[in-house]
Amino acid sequence: MTSTIPAMDPGHVAKCIRCSRVVYNNSSCNPSGMLALCLTALLITIPAFNLPLISLHLLSITEDTNLLQGAFMMINIAPIVSFVVLFCAVIAPTLLILCITISSGCLALHHKHHLLPKLFKVTRHLIHWSMLEVYLVSLMVAMFKLMNYADLYIGMGFYFFIALLVLNTTIISHYSNHQYWEKYQSL
Amino acid sequence: MKTVAIAGQTGKQQGLQVCSTCGNHSEQGPSYTQCPTCNNDIYLRKKNSLQKTWALLITAIIFIIPANIYPITYLLKNNILYPDTIFSGIVSLVESEMVGIALIVFVASILVPILKIAALIIIVLAVQLRWKLSATKQLLIFTFVDWVGRWSILDLFVISIMVAVFDKGSLLSVYPGIAATSFTIVVITTLFAAHCFDTRLIWDSQDASDKQNYNIQEHK
Repeated sequence: MTSTIPAMDPGHVAKCIRCSRVVYNNSSCNPSGMLALCLTALLITIPAFNLPLISLHLLSITEDTNLLQGAFMMINIAPIVSFVVLFCAVIAPTLLILCITISSGCLALHHKHHLLPKLFKVTRHLIHWSMLEVYLVSLMVAMFKLMNYADLYIGMGFYFFIALLVLNTTIISHYSNHQYWEKYQSL
Repeated sequence: MKTVAIAGQTGKQQGLQVCSTCGNHSEQGPSYTQCPTCNNDIYLRKKNSLQKTWALLITAIIFIIPANIYPITYLLKNNILYPDTIFSGIVSLVESEMVGIALIVFVASILVPILKIAALIIIVLAVQLRWKLSATKQLLIFTFVDWVGRWSILDLFVISIMVAVFDKGSLLSVYPGIAATSFTIVVITTLFAAHCFDTRLIWDSQDASDKQNYNIQEHK
């Protein structure tokens, strides 16, 4: 069903007249602001994925666990599981932020690059696969399970991970595929 | 090149199609296979949407059986292997008085995959057999299923954390079982099934069945 998109104030959304789904998001997404958010998020991914999320005091040894370890340790036993975990928790969010960084950068600098349409296309698909919030809930489930076995300490990586999650959510909610296309066409 | 679209009519009625990549509309027809704005492939409806959705759903149904029967994790403690299925894991959580966590795991790894498959089957059947179900309700269910589906990956993340934490050789270790791989396939196939389904087909089938009823009444 065709719907007209009316003139809207920033922050409003236009919905389909038949199914009430959002067809246009008039969010305040200016490329330079997005670029700043994305660069911050990119910097935070490094400590969030590499620093220990939780430390466990077990059998008189303290062991740290980070996000990448878990996925890589299964690679020989269950490669598919390992790949999916790695993709949804690390690769997709990082690539998503990277794509938005490059496209925002190009739009902010008024540089019409021929690869931009491809980037928009990839970004649209990656949004569905970035599952950081699911990972946070999983981490909490795991922490509750582990509290029975041993003493548990929250590591530095955990705080970076939360910061990354907040930034990632902000970026996704502000990103508007339509507006980026419009800006690209008007370049 | 670009004709003006009239609001309140479907693109199909006006001979227009919308690009799924850039959101711009253009004329439809056998010779228009690429979006004039962004040069990506353009189509009136997703190609072979129902076939693809069915294929992925059937794969999910096949793999959900081993995912629930076989052990999803093995706990190696003092050289003895303790297998754990999805269900026995939840039971042991309830026994250790963590009902809240047990509920989250139950919803994410048993309830959501089954409900998701069932809901998608009903919607696809309704489209194919032109059942008279409320289109908005069907879409509401689809949107909910699509949103909640990603949460079933939770159990896989928990396994990955457990494997990383319990790594003490033969004293205490956790390994993923066959069910972990099967469960991954279930989650991925259902996610793709929802992605392959074109929600506009719900209204197409309703329009078609309305037309059919109208013709029958005319005949009488």
